[in-house]
Amino acid sequence: MNANEILGVPANATEEEIRAAWLSKVKEFPPDRSPAEFERIRDAYDTLRDPRKRAKAMLLSTTFAAPLVSLIDEHKVQRIFAGPRPWREVLKTK
Amino acid sequence: MKVPRTRRNASVTVSRKSKANIPPNPSSFYGGNGQAFEAGVRQLIANGKFRNALESAKEFHKVQRTSASESLLLDAYAARIQSLLDQNLEPEAKSLLDLVRKRFPSARERLDTAVAAVSARAGDLAGLLQPLNDPEINSERRTSIERIIQTQVTDLTALAGCVALSPENSLRQAATALDRAFDMVTSGPVTEEQIALPEVPYRSPLAPWKLLIRAIACLHRGEDEACRESLAAIKPESIPARLVPAMQAMLGVKTATALKPAEAMLVARIIANLPELRGALANLDRAFAEHNEGRIFKAVRAAVRECHHSAPDRLVELKQLIALRGAVGCLDTRGLLGALEGAPRQDAAFFRMYALAMEGSDDEEDVVEACELWDKFRQQAVQEGWFRASGVEAATLYLHIAAVLEQIPGELLKKFQRSGNRQTGGEDRYFLFPEKLFARACVIDPHSDAFAQWMCWAARHSVSQAEAVGREWHRIRPGDIEPLLYLMQQAEKRKAFSTALSYLEKAEHIDAVHSVVRAARLRLLAAGAMNHLQKKKPHLAAEKLALMVQLPQSQQGDRPGFLAALRHLICEASGDEGGAAEARREAESLLGGVMAADFLIFGIATVARCLDSALLPPARALSQQERKAIPASLARVLAIVKDLGITKFQLPVSYFSEAEAQFPDVSDSLSLEQILSLGELGMATDNPKLAWDASGAGLKQSGPAEARFLLLRAQSIPPGHGARYLALAAAAAELGRFHRDMDVIDKAIEIVRNPLGGHSIALTVEEAREVVRKELASPAFPSRSGSGPDYSDLIPVPGDLCQCPDCRQERENALDPFYEEEDEPEFDEAEMDRIFNDTVPKGIPPALAKQLFEIMRESFLTGDSPEEVMSRVAGEVRSANGGGGKKRGRRK
Repeated sequence: MNANEILGVPANATEEEIRAAWLSKVKEFPPDRSPAEFERIRDAYDTLRDPRKRAKAMLLSTTFAAPLVSLIDEHKVQRIFAGPRPWREVLKTK
Repeated sequence: MKVPRTRRNASVTVSRKSKANIPPNPSSFYGGNGQAFEAGVRQLIANGKFRNALESAKEFHKVQRTSASESLLLDAYAARIQSLLDQNLEPEAKSLLDLVRKRFPSARERLDTAVAAVSARAGDLAGLLQPLNDPEINSERRTSIERIIQTQVTDLTALAGCVALSPENSLRQAATALDRAFDMVTSGPVTEEQIALPEVPYRSPLAPWKLLIRAIACLHRGEDEACRESLAAIKPESIPARLVPAMQAMLGVKTATALKPAEAMLVARIIANLPELRGALANLDRAFAEHNEGRIFKAVRAAVRECHHSAPDRLVELKQLIALRGAVGCLDTRGLLGALEGAPRQDAAFFRMYALAMEGSDDEEDVVEACELWDKFRQQAVQEGWFRASGVEAATLYLHIAAVLEQIPGELLKKFQRSGNRQTGGEDRYFLFPEKLFARACVIDPHSDAFAQWMCWAARHSVSQAEAVGREWHRIRPGDIEPLLYLMQQAEKRKAFSTALSYLEKAEHIDAVHSVVRAARLRLLAAGAMNHLQKKKPHLAAEKLALMVQLPQSQQGDRPGFLAALRHLICEASGDEGGAAEARREAESLLGGVMAADFLIFGIATVARCLDSALLPPARALSQQERKAIPASLARVLAIVKDLGITKFQLPVSYFSEAEAQFPDVSDSLSLEQILSLGELGMATDNPKLAWDASGAGLKQSGPAEARFLLLRAQSIPPGHGARYLALAAAAAELGRFHRDMDVIDKAIEIVRNPLGGHSIALTVEEAREVVRKELASPAFPSRSGSGPDYSDLIPVPGDLCQCPDCRQERENALDPFYEEEDEPEFDEAEMDRIFNDTVPKGIPPALAKQLFEIMRESFLTGDSPEEVMSRVAGEVRSANGGGGKKRGRRK
């Protein structure tokens, strides 16, 4: 997982959004209860808050060599962006 | 019209299923129970029995004919019309409404809300919204309309585009913003800013839409708890609430009622059928591993089909990855594109992956292609809005490309640069030129790290280029100390001490307590003084000495002894015999003996090339007592030499041999630092036994320096003791880690890394301590192969190595750890250029100068020093000039 995925922010997130996401994650994983996760979150924040590190991470945050099957997370439910039409169909029906 | 049942049997008029739904008999109204009947009708409405309620209200009104009964009837009609609308029976609702308006003209206004609702449902929002333009509209009417907007209007696009409201109308603006946000949030990831929607206040009738949009965003981000919270806050009667059951199903909440077809379809579209896709991708991975082209293409088709069906949002990425695998694996392009159903999208993400794939290749042509791909990525990324062309990301990318180019040997890179220029006909292939890349990066983001990388690269190629970078760095970032220190050190190397001091002065203004800065002034003044002595200018050396004396740091440690020794030589050179004798006595006193003073004076004299002023008798001519003092005196002088960074310090070889001979007897009286200095001296002067004995003496004393002594022992061991050599280095690495001595770790790891073609050799701390114990038990210098402790339990012998093809291949590729490659003379063009310019006779024609330079270069590579070569060449030229004249004369 890259730094953006760890903090759950998009690649073009602003500094405020990154900070807010970091604070939220730190609350979720405090250092006394989840030290390993906290460290991961801190490293991700350190990367994203420094524009040069962030740029470097952006350049190298992808790999073509990983197994293709890793594209799909086995445990995570994949939610697809299907566009507005199917949503609107439901809104029209009572 | 139906005949009222009351007329027929005056009995129950409505549902027979529940007594709660049965209003009182209207006939009882004759008995005056009208209020109870009215309450019964309203109860029917509340229970959703609109048709029965309407029938009863009609009966009631026929009997009563009062305003109260008419009001009840109208309410029943309104409820019935609403129920028809709820069942999507707009035409029926509209017919009934028209009928009611016709029969009860006085109630037109009261029915306006129902009319507006019908209009809204039929897509005619103008009728609903028009009254909102009336500034006199009463609050009841406004509330009623807003309630209809909230509970009936499903089409935000129509609301946003409704011309009945002006474009500036807040409701219309809110609808426009919501419509846009709804499209975005259902089509891709959104930022908080995109769904902030300040146009939609909390009290707006459209506020539930805002909650819905937030819920959808959270759903796609995987923030399920936040999604649930937003869904719970949506008003149940509002239109957005219609999506709540489907979204709860997406969140995994089990609902009692089955989903409607449209809801089920939505859930199926959003939640991917991942197991099948994972299976198809795993199959494709296996096919790639087998390198079977036919199977790969078949698996590609299956994976693309499944991805298109169950995860269409990943299709672009999947196709790009497959195309890259195919390109790297040299698959048939046409066949692969056919299986992919077309070429992958060539966007910035694609070029980034492609470049990363190529830059890791062993083939230099691939690396060049990687740089070209990085350039395409840059252009595409700027176009797609990933970053600005002059952003820090672009600067980082330039530095990355420069780092990638490091993989290509210099000569080969030059060939690529030349051939690239020819092929492209002058197009700027800057990405093949590290200097252009660094320059671009530093222009965009003039950061210390960027300049440091540039200077580091330049220093490996040409000193003059590195100095130019250093000057540029200092010009742009005058507050950085690094370029000044580099420029100072380079000036010092070419003995331009005044220039070095001027750089030092600037550095002192930036950080006077920097360790290099603090050490530099004394060192530079000392070097300058020795240089003046060499040039037979003792008065200038005396000036430098006077400056040194004023420095507070010159009074520390043995530095006063050095100043006294230097003064002695200056006085000697000036002819001041009295002063020289006094200075010598002072040096002897400060350095704890005649021997140390003699060594220091002799050493300084060798540097200053004034050996006439200092003589040392042969070591064998010394008394036994004096000989015993040699190791300690040497160690003391070496510490001064190291402290002041004096280079070219020399002593007669016989003293090193004598130090080696005397060391075992005096080692107990020496400090650890002195022992280590002597050990390093042993290595530097090709006296490995001295280094070996020093390492043994140091290990005896234990402590944090034990790793250093182990490394020294490893370095001093003669050839033929491979296992012991590796065991000592591995133990040094481990104890270096234990004592956090990075210098030792680096050097030791270089020795133990992959020595036999397998993994690096690593020991535990306990094993390292065992090595120390074994070494202390075997102090003798190993003279023949095989003697010494047995380390076969720690270091594998060749017979035990893995014989699998991979490991054998790896071992063949690995460098023999016991093979010492002879140092190739390095040709420093800048240094040679400088020497050449300093010494070449003036007025020499450029062509001849160039030829001379080449001669000098070749001579240097054969083993002569640059100065010697140039002086010889210059001498030859001078004599050739003179001789040539004579020859010409003779010819004449």
